Amino acid sequence: MSKILGVLADSLLAGGLYATMAYGLAVIYGVMRIINLAHAGFLMLGAYATLFLFTRFHIDPFVSLAVVLPAFFLIGVALYLAVVRRLPRSGATPSMESLLLLFGLWLVLQNLAYAIWGGDTQSILTGYTMKSISFGGVRVGVPLVLVFAASAMSLLVLTLFLKRTYVGKAIRAVTANRDAALISGVNADRISATAFGLGTAFAAMAGTLMSTLYAFTPDFGRSFLLKAFCIIVLGGMESAAGVALGAFVLALLENVMGAYTPIPTTFQDAISFSLLVIVLVLLPQGLPRLFTRISRPAHTR
Amino acid sequence: MPEALLAVSGVSKRFGGLLALNTVSFEVEAGQIYGVIGPNGAGKTTLFSCLVGAARPTAGEIRFRGGRIDGLPNWAVVSRGVVRTHQIVRPFRQMTVRENVSVGAHFGAGRRRGAEAASRVGAILEKTGLAPRAEALAGTLTIGESKRLEIARALATEPSVLCLDEVMGGLNPSEIQGAMSLIRTLREAGLTVLLIEHHVHAVVGLSDRILVLNFGERIAEGAPAGVMRDPAVISAYLGEDAPEGTPS
Repeated sequence: MSKILGVLADSLLAGGLYATMAYGLAVIYGVMRIINLAHAGFLMLGAYATLFLFTRFHIDPFVSLAVVLPAFFLIGVALYLAVVRRLPRSGATPSMESLLLLFGLWLVLQNLAYAIWGGDTQSILTGYTMKSISFGGVRVGVPLVLVFAASAMSLLVLTLFLKRTYVGKAIRAVTANRDAALISGVNADRISATAFGLGTAFAAMAGTLMSTLYAFTPDFGRSFLLKAFCIIVLGGMESAAGVALGAFVLALLENVMGAYTPIPTTFQDAISFSLLVIVLVLLPQGLPRLFTRISRPAHTR
Repeated sequence: MPEALLAVSGVSKRFGGLLALNTVSFEVEAGQIYGVIGPNGAGKTTLFSCLVGAARPTAGEIRFRGGRIDGLPNWAVVSRGVVRTHQIVRPFRQMTVRENVSVGAHFGAGRRRGAEAASRVGAILEKTGLAPRAEALAGTLTIGESKRLEIARALATEPSVLCLDEVMGGLNPSEIQGAMSLIRTLREAGLTVLLIEHHVHAVVGLSDRILVLNFGERIAEGAPAGVMRDPAVISAYLGEDAPEGTPS
């Protein structure tokens, strides 16, 4: 019994992190219809930025978010203005140019990290890295709980931002229909810059959070990018709730496989990719569409 | 002579090998209802796209209140007060009707915020008959309601010039009457209205002046009665299906 609870707790906590990681991709895709392949690069740089602040200024990783988030938001905006906005406009699907540009950017970021920090494996050890606490008999690591709290808070803040602010409303409008947003007077170019900044900041935040859980190298982030694709295919891009659901399902599957089958954890990536393939074949529109189909079967158009 | 509110001079638009608009010129005075008609493929919608900055004219210029607006991005033209609706409606499906309209209020020429925006949005929802559906998701509206939402969102941007592209298409006769009286109300409120409409009877009934396009060229322009008797107009239409309501 406590084993099941443990698996559920781990899945929930990891799901929060996964959701933060995937949400950055979803925001950028929604507004611009491009897939930010450089996401993994920003995630990795977020981890290194946190490492830098930790070793040089002894700033706690969670406190470092106060620097990392705004810094990467600005980096994202600058990159959008410098290169991404020059891409030909994507239609309903991402253009080849956008994929190549962002893949190239990822390679540049990776090699930048190799040049600055070298290829050695890095990790951040704080006073609470090895600590764990117990909730009703279930033991969970302190860093994981903190990571979950930070993730949940960031998703909550983002949701409120999208719902309650004018910029948030404009982001939702451009996501829903770019042409309609333009004829309503929304400066879609400025909104795209904002969305790219937000997506980049979210990627870096996921990197910061992961740096408290995992060791990393400049290659860090690749497998997480694949997981983020899987989550987005599962949960859809339309809502934070959908992304969170996809994230939880993926985390649950990984943890169940780890706890109840002899499949070694090194095969985790195989799990998420198998899931991706299965979902694409069986449920190409993702889990939320499955729910709406069940609840309103006759109301399809 | 004072300059017209909207002056289009020598505008051409080429898409690859297709000349969709060929040196079209006309002027719209403030407070007019100005009809644009022509057979399918005449370039009416392309003209609107050029007017609002969704397409950049290949040649010619468009002036609004004396300033060039051709070449400006779409949203910048909207913020100067020229806005269009689309023939195929483009709602923000995942947002409520009220939110749809409020986007226009926040980001259009008016740039209203807070309570001021809310009260304007409320008034527009009343005027367009959408108030009972205010909290519905825009994706769930009927065609008639969607068309009204398209107009409501455009009105919320507080335009000086409203370009309506086929707002009566697909509506039943009583809805068309409703749309016509709404357009008259808008003009009385000080708006200048440009109208693309297949429903020739409605255009003739509403418009102060009419521009007739055929294969991207202006073939007639003037008061409705004269234009509809113009031999060039009659032959352009007889080449196609005679439109409903053509005076015989």
